[in-house]
Amino acid sequence: MKLLSFSQLFWRSISLIFFSFFLLPVIFVLASLFTDYNDNWSHLINFVLTDYILNSIYLIIGVSILSLLFGVGTAWLVTNYDFLGRGWQEWALILPLAVPPYILAYTFTSLFDSYGSANEIMRYIFSAEDEKAFFPNVRNLYGAILVFSSTLYPYVYLTTRVAFLNQSRTLLESGKLLGLDNKSVFYKLALPMARPAIIAGLALVIMETLSDFGAVEHFAVPTFTIGIYRTWFGMYDLNTAMQLSSLLLIFVAIFLLVERLERNKLDYSYAGSTFKPINKIKLTGWKNYLAFTFCFVPLFLGFLLPILEISNWAINYTSESFFSNNFLSSFFNTIFLGILAGIICTSFAFLFNFLKRFERGAFLKTISFVLSLGYAIPGLVLAVGIIQFFSMLDNNFLRSFLDFVLTGSILGLLLAYVIKAYALANNSIEAGFQRIDSAVDDISLSLGTNKTKLFFKIHFPLMKTSILTSLILVISEIIKELPATLILRPFNFDTLAVTTYIYAAEERMFEAATPAMMIVLIGLIPIFFLSKIIKDSRPGSK
Amino acid sequence: MKEQEVLTISDLSFGYEKSRDILSGVNLSLKEGEILGILGASGIGKSSLLRIISGLEVPKEGEILFEGRLLNQKNLIIPPNKRGVGLVVQEKALFPHLTVLENVKFGIKGARSKKNDQATYFLRLLKAEKFKNSMPNKLSGGEQQRVAIARALAPQPKLILLDEPFSSLDMNLRAELRLETRQLLKRTNTACIIVSHDLDDVSSFCDKAARLENAQLKEIST
Repeated sequence: MKLLSFSQLFWRSISLIFFSFFLLPVIFVLASLFTDYNDNWSHLINFVLTDYILNSIYLIIGVSILSLLFGVGTAWLVTNYDFLGRGWQEWALILPLAVPPYILAYTFTSLFDSYGSANEIMRYIFSAEDEKAFFPNVRNLYGAILVFSSTLYPYVYLTTRVAFLNQSRTLLESGKLLGLDNKSVFYKLALPMARPAIIAGLALVIMETLSDFGAVEHFAVPTFTIGIYRTWFGMYDLNTAMQLSSLLLIFVAIFLLVERLERNKLDYSYAGSTFKPINKIKLTGWKNYLAFTFCFVPLFLGFLLPILEISNWAINYTSESFFSNNFLSSFFNTIFLGILAGIICTSFAFLFNFLKRFERGAFLKTISFVLSLGYAIPGLVLAVGIIQFFSMLDNNFLRSFLDFVLTGSILGLLLAYVIKAYALANNSIEAGFQRIDSAVDDISLSLGTNKTKLFFKIHFPLMKTSILTSLILVISEIIKELPATLILRPFNFDTLAVTTYIYAAEERMFEAATPAMMIVLIGLIPIFFLSKIIKDSRPGSK
Repeated sequence: MKEQEVLTISDLSFGYEKSRDILSGVNLSLKEGEILGILGASGIGKSSLLRIISGLEVPKEGEILFEGRLLNQKNLIIPPNKRGVGLVVQEKALFPHLTVLENVKFGIKGARSKKNDQATYFLRLLKAEKFKNSMPNKLSGGEQQRVAIARALAPQPKLILLDEPFSSLDMNLRAELRLETRQLLKRTNTACIIVSHDLDDVSSFCDKAARLENAQLKEIST
């Protein structure tokens, strides 16, 4: 048996410690399945559980259909047709990603409620009576479906657009020569070939929808996450909340597994040496306007409308300083946590990927793969697991030996953020390392460089952009995170997301303007870079 | 003559899979300043042999003796950075964020002025001094390969390993660089193993040649 060197042993131990902190909250949640099931379960089963499950299923189905329509439809149009505004819409279509679902939900209710801005404007235009409502109530399942689809469809758009761009003209032309019209080329060739990409994008949409707490709570749609929250804070029953969380976690794990298996089965690769980029068809007349409108609607609903409404709140919020003390403290708390989590995620992603370059075995690859699944764990479930994990540490070790308590400290919040956002850091860092030819490592070592010098003198300077990307992605993700923050934050410690949530819950929308606007603005930073990449790169078309 | 030998490999075997060895019972020896060419089809294990000698791969069995030092014992493998063996690969692998001069200085030990002088000297020998302040991406393929060879030779190793170094170059440039590199190796008395699938590379560049076939190395006449 080959012995490990001291440095290998050291780094493996560090990896295992990090991995344990990642895994233990999940194990605590799952372990609850093997504990007693109390009387609250009969209440849940008799009265509410069916609603939680059915609402979650209806929501997923509705969001999937609408996101596919928005995401695939717009991706097909911008890659295959030339029409009014296509140039800017191609990159602008991802802007809704900067708006978290709960902020979109707040703006939708503020717009479309009986006395909301949209109804007020319509009443003014048509000189209608005060009671007259021009828009249907959005605080229901349908409103939630519209909100989630409008802000999450870019995941489908992003993956599908790349798939469509990589489809060779020759293949699609072959279809036409075999007698297919434009519509059939789309349904019988382009769509089936893009299926793995569509599934990948849709999986992200579904997982974000399942994880959400803020939007469904605001729309009073009792989904599974609401069930967990109510069981915990309404029935004061953490164990049952954990058992519910386990069910959600198992569902997410099965979903993730099926998605990966399906995607692997369908993993076709068409970009070969015979690749020819698609010639865009110029649309004229009504088709030109229809294509523009089709792309503009999701962009309007998911980005322009909420920005307009938040600006409207801000303009009306003149009673206090725009940058109040409350806002400033929650802003600095958020940025502080974001940067800290960004540094932790990026450092570990860098370390794992660096070590992976020199290890052939499955040890680090497995750890890295499992860690990158953290994004799929709903924030609320994570919070439940971390509370339980920290309570165990407090009760058994820390309180008695060190007179120190982890529960309610900033560390829980940080752990949740790191678990949720590690995948983002890992994706950027892994991609950065893949761009460095392994021959560079070989040559450096043959020139007498040790691994530390290789790390600092070669990899680090070459990875600056990836490191920055990783930091930005993690920070912007953390700024939006609501459920885990709401539960794990220390007493009197607010973040932008929590401040927005509290104001919105109290219907103090004007005051929610500043934190909401800031969340969107910070969220726009990575979107800006992503848009730039979309604008500059046309896979296979250069 | 034994004391002149720089490298001796005995009964070396290696495989990426447990059940199949791509190198088995390989023996070779190389004297100071001697150039050995190894021919063989793609994927036969030529590059793996160079990676084993440079320490980037660990052999299953066998011994590698370099400058009188055993590089691989049961529980002690001398890592590549402590072997002092130069390596040039087909991909050139120049560090993209460093200038040509910084690339060549990278492996030289000692004071800054010594590093500068030595790097400039080797760049001059390889007719690459004029672009010493350029970034690698501004150079042509041939110029990049000159820099890569200068970088491997600059720390003055006793042995340099060339893995298909000329295969991406056009015919004229290839012949020119082959000749210049050979002259340089002889001038610095550096032993060299070059692997190639091109007979011309071996016949015009090497002192002796071998063919890798069925995991075995067989000496052939040049």
